[in-house]
Amino acid sequence: MRTGIYVAVPVMLLLAVLQTAVLPRFSILGLVPQLSFLVALSWALLRGLEEGLAWAFIAGFSLDLFSIGPLGTTAIAYMTAVFVVMMLMRVLPENRFFIPVVMTALGSAVALFVYLLFVRLLGFASSLETAVSLAPLIILNAGFMLPVYWLIYSLDRLIHPRRVEL
Amino acid sequence: MNLNDAPQRIRWITVAILIGIAVLISILDATGNLDAAFGILRDPLTAVLHVTSSGADTVAGALAGPRDLETARTEIAQLQAQVDDLERENEELREIQGEYQLLLDLFNRARQTPEYTRQTASVIGRDTSPAIRSIIIDKGSEDGVRVGMPVESARGLVGRVFRTTGHSAQVALITDNASAVPARLGNSRATGLLRGGELGGALLMDWIDLKYQVEVGEVALTSGLGGEFPQGIVIGRVTEVNRSEVELSQRALVQPATDFDSLEIVFVITDFQPLDVDIFTNPPGN
Repeated sequence: MRTGIYVAVPVMLLLAVLQTAVLPRFSILGLVPQLSFLVALSWALLRGLEEGLAWAFIAGFSLDLFSIGPLGTTAIAYMTAVFVVMMLMRVLPENRFFIPVVMTALGSAVALFVYLLFVRLLGFASSLETAVSLAPLIILNAGFMLPVYWLIYSLDRLIHPRRVEL
Repeated sequence: MNLNDAPQRIRWITVAILIGIAVLISILDATGNLDAAFGILRDPLTAVLHVTSSGADTVAGALAGPRDLETARTEIAQLQAQVDDLERENEELREIQGEYQLLLDLFNRARQTPEYTRQTASVIGRDTSPAIRSIIIDKGSEDGVRVGMPVESARGLVGRVFRTTGHSAQVALITDNASAVPARLGNSRATGLLRGGELGGALLMDWIDLKYQVEVGEVALTSGLGGEFPQGIVIGRVTEVNRSEVELSQRALVQPATDFDSLEIVFVITDFQPLDVDIFTNPPGN
């Protein structure tokens, strides 16, 4: 687990910078995919709940550094989403290519709901219109999941090569 | 030479005649008397010559092909390099023209209201949260930027400084959910409160008194009420009016003048002092 966390910090900081400075220039309908969340969720699907939660925390915290929203809110939202997804994964069949996509859509919805709830509770106004305007983000995230999942799968194989006995 | 031999004699006579004819032709040609006659002969010959020459050129070209092809390739490569250079130069000039236009707009904006001191800042990032609308600029507390300072673009109001670090600041946009800007409409002089968070980045102007006849297309400006923003900064235009007689006030949708998606350079108004309204919530005697 420790190796994973060491990798998570630079990866998530880099993604947060990308999310802040680069991706907004290539927005789709004014929205950009939440790469950090996709990476954290992919890691959770590949490495399990414990490491997934750690990656989600680092991802959310890194993003909050570049937001005027309350610090830690995104981390809570991402961790909740990863937790819900991983609980559901226990009852769902493994090794289906569409599972990460479906789980991303579900996870994104959970993350957005929790985020908006916490933001409202902490005094930052959030409205129903905001929630409605963010609904396409769920589809956008799901659409970007497969390439991100494949990349993280490759990274995981690099960090944790499989042992083969002959 | 035995001229008594008949055949030999005939041969010599023939040679003499031919030489004579040649001399005669030379003389006639030199004096221009044979042009017409030989013109008839030269014309078809010239045509044949032309065809032959072209064919010869083609053959010669084909034979010399590899060398010329190499030269042509070199020339094409040089020309392509020149085209690339010119295209890059063209792009640079377009970029410079765009920046020039942007700075000109900002300069014009600053000239309209010279009473304020402004700090120019570049937009270097946007909020990572999809639910919150803010930008990050490259000027911070070390540059004189303080929390609460109004921020505007060449086209209109952008927002307020929310948080600062040494060399950067986060600016909450007027389109954010939590934003509330006291505004006044240009023609009707109606006042109200502009809130962000509407679909499509529009603003909702609320609490407009029913006595005002608000028209679509009116310009919304900061009213200066509340003391958070200077008076008279353009915010946007009214695109829709919702007037209901059963309510106590009317509403208007305002499209911001600033395009927040393509924002590159902004002004921070550094010498505007926001009004301290804490005095009303905490009276001095308490």
